This record gives sequence, C-alpha cells and structure tokens, in this order.
Amino acid sequence: MNLKRSLWIALTSGFIFVSIWEFYVRSEGYASELDDNKALWAIQRAKVDHLTDDEVVLLGSSRVHYDIQLNEWEEATGIRPIMLASDGTTPTPIFKEIVDHTDFSGTVLIGVAPVLFFSEPGKGFMWDRPSKRLKHYYDRTYAQRANHLLSIPLERSFSFLNASEEEWSDDIDLKTLINGISIGDRVPSGRLPFNNFGFVDADRNVTMFEKTRSDTAFANGIIKVWGSGWDKRPAPVLDAVISYYKPLIAKFKERGGEIIFLRCPSSGGNRERERAKIPRSEFWNPFIEQIESPGYHFEDYESLSHFTCPEESHLYTPDARLFTKEVVQILLNDNVIKTRKAN
Amino acid sequence: MLFNSLSFVAFFIIVLGLYYSNFLQWKGKKRMLLLSSYIFYGMWNPPLVVLLWISTIVDWTAGNKLSVLKNPVSRKMWLLISMVVNLGFLAFFKYGNFLLENFTTLVNAFGWEFQAKPMDLILPMGISFYTFQTMSYTIDMYKGKQEKAKTFLDFALYVTFFPQLVAGPIVRAKDLISQFYEPKKATLNQFIWGLFLLTIGVFQKVVLADALLSSTSDKVFDSTKILHGLDAWIGTLAFSGQIFFDFAGYSTCAIGIALMLGIILPDNFKYPYAAIGFSDLWRRWHISLSSWLRDYLYIPLGGNRHGITRMYVALTLTMLLGGLWHGAAWTFVIWGILHGIYLVLERLLKKLVPIKINNWNGIIFALLTYSMVNITWVFFRANGLDSAKKMITSMFYLNPNGEKLLGFAEIGKVSIIISLLFLCHWAMRNTSMRAISKKMPAWVFGIIWAGLFFLICLAQGSGEQFIYFQF
Repeated sequence: MNLKRSLWIALTSGFIFVSIWEFYVRSEGYASELDDNKALWAIQRAKVDHLTDDEVVLLGSSRVHYDIQLNEWEEATGIRPIMLASDGTTPTPIFKEIVDHTDFSGTVLIGVAPVLFFSEPGKGFMWDRPSKRLKHYYDRTYAQRANHLLSIPLERSFSFLNASEEEWSDDIDLKTLINGISIGDRVPSGRLPFNNFGFVDADRNVTMFEKTRSDTAFANGIIKVWGSGWDKRPAPVLDAVISYYKPLIAKFKERGGEIIFLRCPSSGGNRERERAKIPRSEFWNPFIEQIESPGYHFEDYESLSHFTCPEESHLYTPDARLFTKEVVQILLNDNVIKTRKAN
Repeated sequence: MLFNSLSFVAFFIIVLGLYYSNFLQWKGKKRMLLLSSYIFYGMWNPPLVVLLWISTIVDWTAGNKLSVLKNPVSRKMWLLISMVVNLGFLAFFKYGNFLLENFTTLVNAFGWEFQAKPMDLILPMGISFYTFQTMSYTIDMYKGKQEKAKTFLDFALYVTFFPQLVAGPIVRAKDLISQFYEPKKATLNQFIWGLFLLTIGVFQKVVLADALLSSTSDKVFDSTKILHGLDAWIGTLAFSGQIFFDFAGYSTCAIGIALMLGIILPDNFKYPYAAIGFSDLWRRWHISLSSWLRDYLYIPLGGNRHGITRMYVALTLTMLLGGLWHGAAWTFVIWGILHGIYLVLERLLKKLVPIKINNWNGIIFALLTYSMVNITWVFFRANGLDSAKKMITSMFYLNPNGEKLLGFAEIGKVSIIISLLFLCHWAMRNTSMRAISKKMPAWVFGIIWAGLFFLICLAQGSGEQFIYFQF
C-alpha cells in the first residue's frame, strides 16, 4: 500500500465530506455562530476586575440577556455594559461573587425572572448553572483559554460547528444527532424538544432568530417548554432571597456600588402563569420594598409594557432595542445610572 | 494540553516546524522538545512544572551517584532518596486526602470525635505516570540494568517527553533515552503512519468514547436509583468501551505523535477485550503499567520463586497496589483485588482443568473474560461503594423492579458498538492495524481515513479531558 497516496485521498475526500456537510447544514438554515458557553462568559467576567465606577454589569437570566441590547445602551450612555446574564439561571451567586471577590463599585443591574429569581438560594439547576460558570472562570487553564480563542474564528466560519453547551435539541453534533433517535417507549420521553432561538456576539449581546417571530410552529415549540414542569417546581421563596440579598447589597453599597432590579416583559400564557404562581404583590413588591433598592417593573411604565414576546418570554431583537432605549432613558431620568455623554 | 484540542493542533504544528527546520542542530531540537514539553504541561497548571523539575533533578543526581558508587549502603541510600521523593509527592498529592479520611474514620471509631479539615489539593496531571517512569530509571540504575543517561538534557527529555508525559505509555529508560542520543527524523512513511495513528486516537476519544458512549455510562453510573438489570449491564458495557477508547485513544495519539518526530514508543494496548483469561488480559491492557508492576513490584515481592502461596499473595498484592495506583478510593482497591483474585483463580483452574484453547472455544472464553472484566469496571467507575453495590445487585438481576433509565435506541447503540468492539478485537487478536492496512488498497485506506476525519468533525469534541489524566 502506498501511504502517500492514501494521505492525499484522505485529505481530498475529507475535505469533500466536510464541504458537503457544511453545504447541507447551511441549506437547512444553520448559520455560523458563537456558542454562548462558559468560556465566552468567563471572558466577560474577567473584565469586571478592571471596570471603573461609572460602568455597568448586567446580571440575570435569559430575559435580560435577550431584552437588553448592548449597542443601544452604549449609544445612550457612552458606556458599554458587561453582559453576565446567563440563560436559565438565578443571578444571585454571580452577584455574591462580584460583591465578595471583586472591588467593582459601579452599577449592577439584576434582571428578575420570577420563577428563577425567587428560588431557594443554593439549590436547584438555576443555582448550579451559574456556579459552574464561576468555577470555570476560576479554574480555567491556559490551554482552555487558548482553545476557546482558537475556536472563535472557526465557529464564526463554519455552520456545521453548531453544538452548544446548552445542548439544544437542534444541535448538529454527532452526540445530539444519535441521542435524538428514539425507539419505542421503554422509558418516558425526556425533556420537550428545546431549540436554540438566538445567537450571541463575542461580547454576549444576543440577537433573536427572525424565525422565532415569523414561524409560529417554531415559537410554539419554545412556548411549550416554558409551560412544562410548573407542577414539579419547588414553591417560590421570598424571605430566604431577601435575607440572602440584604447583607450583599449593604456591602456593595458601602463601597459605593449601585444596584438596580429590573423585571423584563413576558406575554401570553407564560405571563398568566407567573401572575398566578408568583404574583407580583406577594414577591416583587415586598422584595423591592424590603431591600431598599430601585426596582423597575415593566408593568409600571407605559413605554415598557406594550411589547409582546414572540415566544412569551423574550423580546424580538428590534423590540429589545426599543425596550433598552426606554429602560436607559428611565434610569437616566431617575439618576440611577451614569452617562459619559454630555447632555 | 489535550491532544483533542485546537491549542494542541497549533502547538504541534509549531513543534513540527521547528523540529524539521534546518536552523536547529540536534541538541537545539532536543532543547526545543524539552521546552515544548514544559509548555505542554504548564498550559494546564504552570506552578506544577516545578514538581517535574524536582523529580528530574533528584533522579538525575541519584542516577549519577549510583553509576559511580560501589558501597552498597550508599547505593541503597541514593535509591531510597529517589523513591522517597517520588513516592512522597505521589502520596501527598494523590493519597493525602484518602489517608486523612480513613485516619479520621478509624480514630472516630474509637470515640475520639476527631474532625480533620480536608486538604484542598490539586492532583498534578499525570503524576502517577511520570513518577513511575522516572523511578524505573533509578531502580534499573541501582540494579545495574541501566547505564547513566549521557547528558542531563537527554534525561530531562526522557522524564518530560510531551507525547507520553501525562498518560503514558510508561516508557523504560533503555527504550527511550538512547533514542535521544542520535538525530532522529521520521521517514515519510513513518510520518504519515504517525498522522494516521493520531487520527485514529482522536477518533477513539472524541467519537467513540465521548460522543457515543460517555452519556450512557454517565447516566447509569450517576443515577442514585436502583436500576433494572439491563440498564446496569448496558451502562457498564458502555463504560468498558468508553474507558478503552479513551485510554487506548490517548496511547495511540502518543505513539503517533512520537512517530511523527521519528521516536518510537511501545504499544500500550493489544486488543485487550479479546483476551482469553486474565494473564492474557494484562499482556494486552495498559501493557506498560502491567509490565512495570511485574518488574518492580511482583518480582521483588517474590514472584513465583518462593512457592505457590507466596506467589498468590504477591500477585494479589501487586494487583491491589495497581488498583490504588489508579485512584485513592476503596473502589479502586476492590477493583485491584478482584483482578488479583481472577489471576489466582485462573492459575488454579489451569492446573485443575487443563483446556486446549482453539478458535471455537477461544471466543467463548474471551467473552467470559470480557464479562468478568465488566464486573470489575463497576468498581472502577462507581462513585462509591454503595453505588457499586447497587449496580452489582442490579446486574445479577436481584432488583427485578429496578428503574429503567435507557430507551431502546440507547440500548441498541451501546449493544452495536460494544459487539463490534469485541468482534473487532477478536478478529485483530493476532495481527495489527499496520499489517491489515498493508493488505488494503491505498484508496480504500484513504477513504476510511477521510471517514474518521469527517466523524471527528461531526462530533465537534468539546475538549473533554482523558479519563486517565486523573490517575
């Protein structure tokens, strides 16, 4: 056997196989996009150590992530916030880490998604997920940092590199494709199909896919996920969350920090469920009252309450841009954030 | 740094570029390889490179002394210094917490109510591998079986050579140091074959171990429930495949990478799941460790020179320590003891029931061996003794109402992969990949190679760590 010939055949055929796969996945609507993984998050977290006291850090779950657009915020204030919101999480452990382990004394805006935020501190997936990101931030090796930096140009170039740490149902890596095969009913079917509905930039600014608004079936698939599992979730808690936040906020304010809470919009059945299970009067209102920090609820402002979320939980990006502009304007009017722009 | 990572691809391209450049002489190339090896290790945790330096300096000094000293007491003292330093590091970093935990349990059993704060130690990657490798040099020097390395550079490179630094093969000094004495350059065929081995190794790790088997194995072993027998077996079979592909994948990468530099490393796996009996298994699985344990533990413990009883004790003790080498937990001790018992029983049975192995009964015995190996894998993988006990009970169908975790598709996936793995090992039992490839038309081999590459791209490995890095 001629090994040299084999190598050339392997190189040529390998290139052809990968090219065919790349063309196929593009034809199926996949785009080359970055994975919003722990490594990308850690890059943003590292920036917090070098921020000045007029800068802003955004914490929260996917609602802040989708609804606050960094370009619009920067345009309005001259300051580009650091996006540390993390999908499907409570911001509490991240806020604690910033208070306890950094000298940051600027503004922290915390998004409140009731079902995730009013959960028992230290428990559940909503706590574990951000904790894992923090662990990665502290433990990441130089090799992991190099791997991530090298992966960014590849992820931006090739659509077939479409696998996410989130393990979306429509990822196209081998593991997801194989594990997606289902035969018979020996075990109950697992989680509902949960497809990715947005992509991030290098600084984690999110853009929602256009099909989330235009493709009702696609949006309905996501809506089903939001509606599932409510009966199995632990009851929301208030006192434990207040007790957890109070000393942290006091410590943060003592060194000059400002904290703002923001309740982003939800719509349809999702909003109805939130109203029924975690009513504002029993959770948001007493929380804001007791922690003595500014809180902004979308329902309280006409300019924030007219939006409709295509999948009942997040704003479509053009709406998110408007929402961000309005939020920033309100915060500036109330003098709770700073601007580098002259009036 | 992991072989299945982009940083390694960039690193290795630079190393190859410098290695085959004309502006470095052989000594310069060796210095470059040594520096690269420290970078390779330091990219994980730079301060721990110091441990490598200490091991290197201590064993180089001990080797130098052993090469000139004639006084038996002085010679023994230098051997002891080397062993105390090397085993001391290993004991402190790897077994410190285990010893503390067991000490606490023991004294509390006597009512002392002692509470120790766990030591927050990082286990230096590959410490078990490079410790054994460097110790073999000093022990062989002491026994007069090894000549002193010609230069410090050759010795330091032997301790640190990046392809096999963190997960083997554990190479003896006589097999590696001498290769550094003369300029080395891979022939074109060696280079291409090395690249193919690297592809196969990454394929085993990224596609077979991580993408296809790890999720099933993790699902079963991370479950806290009492499982249905079928689920317990499928999870264990998945782990048997995962650990083989993970570890053999690493060794294959290491051998391929070294070959691309013109350095030959020994085989570490020879189709172990086709082993007929456990002596055969240990001649095929992690060969460099089992031969190390044989030469530096089993034989010094008496081997088969002091009667049958002592031999069985030596065998069991060797396997027990082999288990502990893998990890500081009682589950690893049981894993080792089980293998020791298997080896003893096999020797007893061979005497009592002499059977002539042929092709027909061979595969049955191989299957029996593989099944029994799977029992031991439960202890190797389980998160604790309770979890292992539950799994073993389920595997012997003593939990008829056990929880079903796996769907038919997942059961089918694991069954197909493991059946193919076993049959492939059986078919390859007495041959090698190189021999098979030579009989293949070039275009068929090329297409297979391309297929492996495509599947690696499709799997999009997320840079999962090799299991054996933790040992």
